[in-house]
Amino acid sequence: MSLEKITNLFDARHWIGHMEADYRYTLGIAGERFFKEIKENARIMGAKCPKCGVVFVPPRLYCEKCFMKLEEWVDVGKRGEVYTYTIATIDIDGKKLEKPQIYALIKFEGAHGGLIHKIGETENVYIGMKVEAVFKPPSERKASINDIAYFKPVK
Amino acid sequence: MSEVAIVGVGCVGFRPITPELSYKELMFEAAVKAYEDAGGINPREDVDVFVTCAEDYLEGFSIFDEFVPDQLGAALRHLLTVSGDGMLGLATAYMLIKTGYFDTVVVEAHSKASDILTYMDIVQFGLDPIFNRPLGGHPYYIAGLEMNRYLHETGTTEEQCAEVVVKNKKNAVLNPHAAYGANITLNQVMCSERLFHPLKKLEISTPADGCIVLVLASEKVAEKLTDKPVWVKGVGWCTETPSLETRDWTRAVYTRLAAEMAYKEAKISNPWRDIDFAEIHDVFAYKELQHMEALKLCDYGTAGKLTEDGLTALDGELPVNPSGGLLGMGYGLEASGLQKVLEVVLQLRGEAGARQVEDAQVGLAHTWRGIPTATGAVAVLSNVK
Repeated sequence: MSLEKITNLFDARHWIGHMEADYRYTLGIAGERFFKEIKENARIMGAKCPKCGVVFVPPRLYCEKCFMKLEEWVDVGKRGEVYTYTIATIDIDGKKLEKPQIYALIKFEGAHGGLIHKIGETENVYIGMKVEAVFKPPSERKASINDIAYFKPVK
Repeated sequence: MSEVAIVGVGCVGFRPITPELSYKELMFEAAVKAYEDAGGINPREDVDVFVTCAEDYLEGFSIFDEFVPDQLGAALRHLLTVSGDGMLGLATAYMLIKTGYFDTVVVEAHSKASDILTYMDIVQFGLDPIFNRPLGGHPYYIAGLEMNRYLHETGTTEEQCAEVVVKNKKNAVLNPHAAYGANITLNQVMCSERLFHPLKKLEISTPADGCIVLVLASEKVAEKLTDKPVWVKGVGWCTETPSLETRDWTRAVYTRLAAEMAYKEAKISNPWRDIDFAEIHDVFAYKELQHMEALKLCDYGTAGKLTEDGLTALDGELPVNPSGGLLGMGYGLEASGLQKVLEVVLQLRGEAGARQVEDAQVGLAHTWRGIPTATGAVAVLSNVK
């Protein structure tokens, strides 16, 4: 260990660096199909394992349980249930949000998994609440998870 | 196969900021202490392999492993980097020695969290880029989601989670390596801001700077270097699916499987009875409870009650996080696992000062790689060979 130490904070210099990291993430075969259905048909699709029969949402090309290739597609509907939720009161920089944001994991009947998304049109959310996807108008959809604007309570 | 022991530890920090030292100097100071602690070994001659643990994005380098040899005395020696928590480095060192080809292995992990200007953006960058990242927001909402489901399924109360904070910060007051020790009340925790309902501000660990270096040795070398070897009885690790949508949200399965791997080797059949104290990853208060259950220290859904009843306090039946945990020491990022190991070593040597657990023979160290990961690791250590 060194005998000399910096003891004055003004002597503790630094240098600012910045990491540029821009990417183009390929959706892949399963992602392509999932987002095409969302964009063109406002449908939420899962992929079914031929061996264990589990329907995965979001869909993928392989089964995490059996390591089988998944080729069968299933429409899981746009209604689901709040499996868990949280209410965020700060943004990523730690600043207080003007309006708290509700996030939830929404599960669909008969499917393993679900979608993490925002909850809108209500401030009263609870575990087990029935919700449905609110899609943006077709002209505004970009094949993104944000083509679903949010999930709202089923009346 | 040779038994493996930890024969030296060195720690700098943990502190909220370390503006007077570069990350290299943090590593150098911790290394000097560890080599001295290991009987004064010379790293240029006496160490067979060096294992460092670091994640590029947290260091601000794209190939960080190239920047670590010199300050450890490892230039032109045999070094490898594990891109993960320090406990995975410990597991690697353990296996290297078990092969019989190596006798002395050094493990290092550090945190220079105060150098990271946009830590949450890095955490956010750890999310799935297609399904999760476009939603934006502070990524700790994932912890809020998990805590809420955990409480719902187990009946654990918010107060029981808050008790973890009171206990850990109190233990940290007794730990010179802790940055955030405090005597606080349950009410203070309960009234702290609800940042991600039901997760509150004081239930979230604050990052800290520090570095830990360990020296591990085979049986024949260990007994020459120290009269207080701490034996590694078992290690385990496991990763669950990265898919937030399909993973288990309440049981920390990655920890259970890591623990079963370590327990099998360490011949632990009844963890609550066989283990004297545990250092458990508590970056969020509820995670200590969830992890206690996954580590099979108690039944599913009972950790909150045990904590509330004081059984995991410093003077309890099975003290959990006598160091103060990450809530009290500060969150050392990829050094978290070694923060846990450090405390277990100090306790098993009887060098834990005012927070010493009496008659400790077997200690458990556990880690998790934090949001949004599902990777855990476990080590069982003992002062009895």
